[in-house]
Amino acid sequence: MESWLLIIRNVHDETILYEQLNQALQEIRKLNASLEQKVKDRTRELEATNRELEAFAYSVSHDLRAPLRGIDGFSLALLEKYGDQLDHKGKDYLNRIRAATRKMGSLIDDILSLSRIATASLQKKPVDITVMSRDIFQSLREKEPERAAEMHISDDVKVTGDPGLLRVAMQNLIDNAWKFSSQQDVIRIDIARERNGSETRIAIRDNGVGFNMKYYNKLFTMFQRLHSGREFPGTGIGLATVQRIVNRHSGRLWAESEVGKGSAFYMVLPDHTETSQE
Amino acid sequence: MNKKKHILLVEDNRDDVDLTIMALEKCDIVNEVKVARDGDEALSMLYDTEEEPELPVLVLLDINMPKINGFEVLKEIRGNERTRRLPVVILTSSREVQDIHRGYDLGANSYIRKPVGFESFVEAVRNLGRYWLKWNESPV
Repeated sequence: MESWLLIIRNVHDETILYEQLNQALQEIRKLNASLEQKVKDRTRELEATNRELEAFAYSVSHDLRAPLRGIDGFSLALLEKYGDQLDHKGKDYLNRIRAATRKMGSLIDDILSLSRIATASLQKKPVDITVMSRDIFQSLREKEPERAAEMHISDDVKVTGDPGLLRVAMQNLIDNAWKFSSQQDVIRIDIARERNGSETRIAIRDNGVGFNMKYYNKLFTMFQRLHSGREFPGTGIGLATVQRIVNRHSGRLWAESEVGKGSAFYMVLPDHTETSQE
Repeated sequence: MNKKKHILLVEDNRDDVDLTIMALEKCDIVNEVKVARDGDEALSMLYDTEEEPELPVLVLLDINMPKINGFEVLKEIRGNERTRRLPVVILTSSREVQDIHRGYDLGANSYIRKPVGFESFVEAVRNLGRYWLKWNESPV
């Protein structure tokens, strides 16, 4: 008799349990649905913001460049047509106006290309970093043939990613390696594919001036520069661009350096073969 | 050969008009320059006259203009039997892909983005002049 009661109670408990479970399940479903709605709403908001940013970049490209052309053009006209009425200082001021104008022009161009990177659609393909890097290095040599420079790169540096964006990234990294090594007798750039634990990274090393790791948090920030423009010209947008490209690939970018001992930049890009194994 | 023919410059910004004329002068381009200050004016200069107006040897066309923009002017030029072969060079501030594509889709012969530095701009104008006014066989 007692055992029967026990069974009945057990069944009763189970029914309650089942009901509770069912209720919980329904709640989870409801939560799921509202979460999905939230994601949809957020995505729509983000897409709207993106479109606004694109429109902003567009108007920057049109509207900010036009007055700059005027400033530069009329300054030059003053110099050429009324230069004899100006003393040395007056001419110097006009030349400075022109230099500042051109600087602002290249800043605008850099901001524009950065914003394009943020909104461009990603087309992933196999990319041969070796061939790309040699090509970039070659054009640097042609631009500054008087510099002694060597680049070492293994033949096997291949990744999956957007070829256009990765070219911009490699261009910036190699440009930097070249620029910040320009005080050395021989510019030396090493690019290698390295296995580090479970991931493969691309390492770009140079023998340049390096930087103080104390300022590392500024390294990848837009318009932040760790060297003066007189020493090494630049707009301070290159590494921010590289960072953004790597982000778009869901990859990682970091650097190590010591003043006077060169820099090393590391890039990890998730690979097709590796992600499919996960 | 084309020396007597004029260039039609369609540009709403006065500074840009002066700069372009200064650049043309610097390059010893002697063709007369007629200026349309917006798309509307350009269209009336090309079409709205009693007798058929003489066509320019080259149209330098800005995109962003009030009322009728450069694209609409280009569309009109290509859609009209009398002007459809007219060489049109877009001369603008924008390097946005959608503008470049749209320009070519509508039948622009060339697309030049005006550089900020005046010397570069002069260089661009010099090449433009050499190509379109000297070497190119004009359809007009």
